[in-house]
Amino acid sequence: MSSQLLIQTIANAIMASSMYALIAIGLTLAFGVMQMANLAHGHFFMVSAYAVYALYALSGWPFWWAVVAAVAVGAILGVIVERTIFRPLQGDVVSGFIATMGLMFVFEVLVGEIWGWGLSRPIPSPYMGAVRFLGAAVSFQRVLLMPFALVSISGLLLFMKHFRLGRALRAVALDPEAASLQGININRMTALALGISGAYAGLAGGLMSPIYAVTPSLGGHLILPALIVVVVGGMGSIGGATLAAVIFGFIMTFVTTLVDGVTAVMVSVTVMAIVLVIKPQGLMGRVIA
Amino acid sequence: MRRTRFGKLSTWILFAITFAFVLPSIAISASKKLTVDEAVILSHLPDQQIGKTYPQGEEINVGFLAALSGPDAGWGLPGVTGNSIWIEAVNKTGGLLVGGKRYPLKMHQFDDEANASKALQGARQLVLQHDVKFISAIGGDPANATAPFLTKHKVIYASLVPTDMQPARPYVVAGGDVTPQCNMFNPLMAKMVLPSEKELGRPLRYAITTQDDIMSRQVGAWEVGAAVSQGFDIVYEKFFSTDTTDFAPIVSALLATNPDVISLCEAWPEYQTLMWEQLYLQGFKGVVAQNYADWETNLTKIPPEYPAARSAIDSFPLMDDPWWGANSWQASFTRIWNKQYGPGAPDDVHRRMTGIDWDHVVWFIPWCIGAQVAGKDTPGEWPSNDAILAALRKMSSFPTILGPGHMSGKEMFGIQNMIEQPVPMNMFDLKANDKRIIAHMNFEPWFEAIKPVVLKEVKKRGQHWTQRK
Repeated sequence: MSSQLLIQTIANAIMASSMYALIAIGLTLAFGVMQMANLAHGHFFMVSAYAVYALYALSGWPFWWAVVAAVAVGAILGVIVERTIFRPLQGDVVSGFIATMGLMFVFEVLVGEIWGWGLSRPIPSPYMGAVRFLGAAVSFQRVLLMPFALVSISGLLLFMKHFRLGRALRAVALDPEAASLQGININRMTALALGISGAYAGLAGGLMSPIYAVTPSLGGHLILPALIVVVVGGMGSIGGATLAAVIFGFIMTFVTTLVDGVTAVMVSVTVMAIVLVIKPQGLMGRVIA
Repeated sequence: MRRTRFGKLSTWILFAITFAFVLPSIAISASKKLTVDEAVILSHLPDQQIGKTYPQGEEINVGFLAALSGPDAGWGLPGVTGNSIWIEAVNKTGGLLVGGKRYPLKMHQFDDEANASKALQGARQLVLQHDVKFISAIGGDPANATAPFLTKHKVIYASLVPTDMQPARPYVVAGGDVTPQCNMFNPLMAKMVLPSEKELGRPLRYAITTQDDIMSRQVGAWEVGAAVSQGFDIVYEKFFSTDTTDFAPIVSALLATNPDVISLCEAWPEYQTLMWEQLYLQGFKGVVAQNYADWETNLTKIPPEYPAARSAIDSFPLMDDPWWGANSWQASFTRIWNKQYGPGAPDDVHRRMTGIDWDHVVWFIPWCIGAQVAGKDTPGEWPSNDAILAALRKMSSFPTILGPGHMSGKEMFGIQNMIEQPVPMNMFDLKANDKRIIAHMNFEPWFEAIKPVVLKEVKKRGQHWTQRK
């Protein structure tokens, strides 16, 4: 591998890690609090991307206002899904899994019927051009993801540690029964968790809408890498998800560059399996006695 | 007084009935009237006899079995419009005139999502429930899955992928969108704009990548064969997963091989947009070639100066390209399309016409031509597909969307089921901000000259029809 290719690949990997982190952070929060996987998380991303398409590409809104709207869309979707699916199925992991799987198809069909199937929706890049550093070139749009990923992850960690609501969320994630005995309203906390999770999906979808091919099936492509990152990082661990996002960002990018994309997927899944065999709770997950 | 009031009421009731029923009927009749542009596109039929009355035959059902959703839908869904335009024009004359009867045409759609098992389900539904005689499709995995069933029922399956054809599939036809011929011309076109090997002091370098599916592997093999025949060194030849969302590492890997030409081959419409973006961002300075370029979408990501500087080559011409002429068949088709599907039209598809909108009707029209010719031997009856194919094979030339065509394919695919027609090659034009035809290529004589080299490369990759089951 030449030095030029190495530098470019490292730059690509850092961007990919930021993308995975932004997508997975909300999912791991929801997982931690509700102890259930929201398989429709990728479709929150997709719906938010379509929100940017509708507002920015079609209606001429400024890009950043469209992203704010996408965040709001994601948050609202999260709250609605919590109220209508997760709350009635509280504790029933399998039913929650199946219900959110069904929700994936509902979102896909709804979006397809409204905006059409087939060709992807063109979302103009608000910032055409690349940042060049040491010979590596990365699009402005992707470079933006890194500070957003850093700020949003740090902000979430800060919130969980230093704010009353954040500490309440952690309490519910650790032990819902004990949290309830302390007077914490479990339903309100799960709604908050899904709202924040949806907002993060909305932020990721909004920021990345000019980077991906926006089609109704976009969510399906993203949920697998998101789940891998969450599971390997340790379900419910924000730090673990961040670490796993970096690991898989680098694995996917380097293997794709050196071999091919098909092998990269195989390697990622193999690494996931190895990590889980050695540490079943994930890299930074806690052991449940 | 009462009589007068009753009379007034009757008048108003009569007026209301007229307004509610008669006027719309007039409007409907007006819209059923054949337009000049529709008459032009029907001119490809040898014996339609517009305006003359013939006995009515039964409805002839045709199918559209392709991806109408999902990532592959870019090759399928738009084709519904082209087929619909043809059917509407034919039906406005009373139906396709075959063997002295007019047979109205009706199309039934099934979304196979480019999935083999869904395609088979769709084929069964279309044939067993709707008795379709002809199916427009994309091909690839779905072609493999449906071939035995459709062969048994003698239903023609018009694939976009000529490599789907083989002797064991007598009813699989292709060639409508001149693939892989147009892909094979990519290296030749690229050579015309690149410095020569002599000037560079080294062989020219060719890199090719596309998604990993049956069609792309087959077409890619033919394109690589053509590139080798033109003296290119193949420096990169890899396929990416259809789940790929991040093309930055793929393009980085491509650029690391220092190619003079990068071919995106059969890359799906959304993939080629994202790859163009990465090529621009990572600063590729060579030639870019592909099967199909979607400039309306691509130019939302890259400035037009970039593809112009890359001599961007592809092969799906625009039907409103000035090359064809303002009074051409293609211009008429475009006007009909814009009137029905363009901005503000009744069925506005919120995009402009693409190459795929006419890609499927390219074979549908010759099938109708074949039916008319074969029908002369079976007056009063709709001819079999065997007779239709035989009639087409006997014709030295028949009109197609891309020019005069004839049946071919025995040497490349083992069966004479391919329409051989002139291959239009485009390059991006900065003044037009779009692709423009720069040449119409005659494939067969050129292929004859390079055949040994090409077939060797195709067989090395296991993609010759003799090697595929």
